[in-house]
Amino acid sequence: MRDPFEALREDVVPVEPDPGFAARLRERLERAVLDPTRDWRSENMTTATRLRQGDIGFASLWVPDADRAAAFYREVLGWRYAPDGQDLRIEEVTPGLAIRGGEEHRGLFLGYVVDDVTRAAERVRRAGGRAGEPAREPYGLAVRCEDRQGLPFAVYEPAAEARAAAEPRPGEVCYLTIDLVDAAEAREFYGAVLGWEFVPGSVPDGWAVRTGGAEVRPMTGLWGGRERSVAVPMYSVADIGAAVARVRELGGTGTDPQGRPYGIEARCLDDQGTPFYLGQLGG
Amino acid sequence: MGVEPDPGHALLDLYEEALPQVYGYLLARCRRRALAEDLTAETFLAAVEAVRRAPPPRLTVAWLVGVARNKLVDHWRRAEREERGLRLVGSSWHDGFEDPWDERLDALLAREVLAALGPHHQAVLTLRYLDGLPVPEIAECLGRTVHATEALLVRARRSFRSAYDERKEDPDA
Repeated sequence: MRDPFEALREDVVPVEPDPGFAARLRERLERAVLDPTRDWRSENMTTATRLRQGDIGFASLWVPDADRAAAFYREVLGWRYAPDGQDLRIEEVTPGLAIRGGEEHRGLFLGYVVDDVTRAAERVRRAGGRAGEPAREPYGLAVRCEDRQGLPFAVYEPAAEARAAAEPRPGEVCYLTIDLVDAAEAREFYGAVLGWEFVPGSVPDGWAVRTGGAEVRPMTGLWGGRERSVAVPMYSVADIGAAVARVRELGGTGTDPQGRPYGIEARCLDDQGTPFYLGQLGG
Repeated sequence: MGVEPDPGHALLDLYEEALPQVYGYLLARCRRRALAEDLTAETFLAAVEAVRRAPPPRLTVAWLVGVARNKLVDHWRRAEREERGLRLVGSSWHDGFEDPWDERLDALLAREVLAALGPHHQAVLTLRYLDGLPVPEIAECLGRTVHATEALLVRARRSFRSAYDERKEDPDA
């Protein structure tokens, strides 16, 4: 007699996975092939270097509507998500990123690595900012703060294994611009709190941030004379033309890509008005 | 002279062709995109290690799909361990007995029923019917004896059939 179960037979039908996923996996494989001595299975941690005081170890994207942002950035950057308390954690990115909804701020909330949160919180208060009490978070022991211009941030002692990406991959933050109303005041504040040092940048009142004699990670610049204080990420993409077109399709805005010494960039707003850059760096 | 070509590079050369096959295989069987991606990544990373072993496997898409199958089985094994504490496994039916069943399966309903079964039952039915593997090969995949695999298959068919009949009578259940 015919076995009804035979109807379940399913030959392999090829399906193209998400291009962002395909690119990330290919890159992981290349690293695994090129350097067999390391354990690449323990995620992308191994490409990285240890975080120092003043580096940015995690960031949270603050938006009014988290689900809407998740859909938007999934399409543009190939992000994948895991629920994490009240946040959506983005999988497989360095530095760590999450989306938090219900925030009118529309910008990136940055977590700065420090050696000792209690002392760092003291320095924040002494420098004229505000700091809360230390709280245990998934990424480490953290204190929620605000600088003198009202920009919220956190200082934290990382839980073990905090690393910086050596080479940003598509979908990861490759550069941060901190827009400020008053850059001089911010230099004084962050210099005192994080030990940041500043080198004049390529735009008027723009400053490259350094810590311990080297560039802060990810690379960061302060930009003064701006309308409001907000941290703006640049996300690395493999094809900036396609990415900008996608942003526009989805109800965001983006400038035409422009060549810069470090690569090609476009300044964008997502469909909720959150600012970001796209960057196709190097190569 | 004497520099052996790295078999890892051959794997990278095969990547573009093999990726949709491996991903398609996994997605059709686990039906969750994030899980299919995770298992795809595990498959290729395991392949990097496997091609360095002596003797190296013959590097083909079919071999990679076989690695993917093992990753899928590992996934079901983990899921089974996690669920074991929660589920009542006890079945009063004795093994090895099955009424004949002449039913033309509705493919969509069948896949839903399959996805709702316990991980062990999903594993053995997928390998036997979706993949069309003979029982001795399934036994090897699952790390069981042929006899134990046959018994598992009987139990899996039975729980599939009872869930299928139930769903057919009351599709909204």
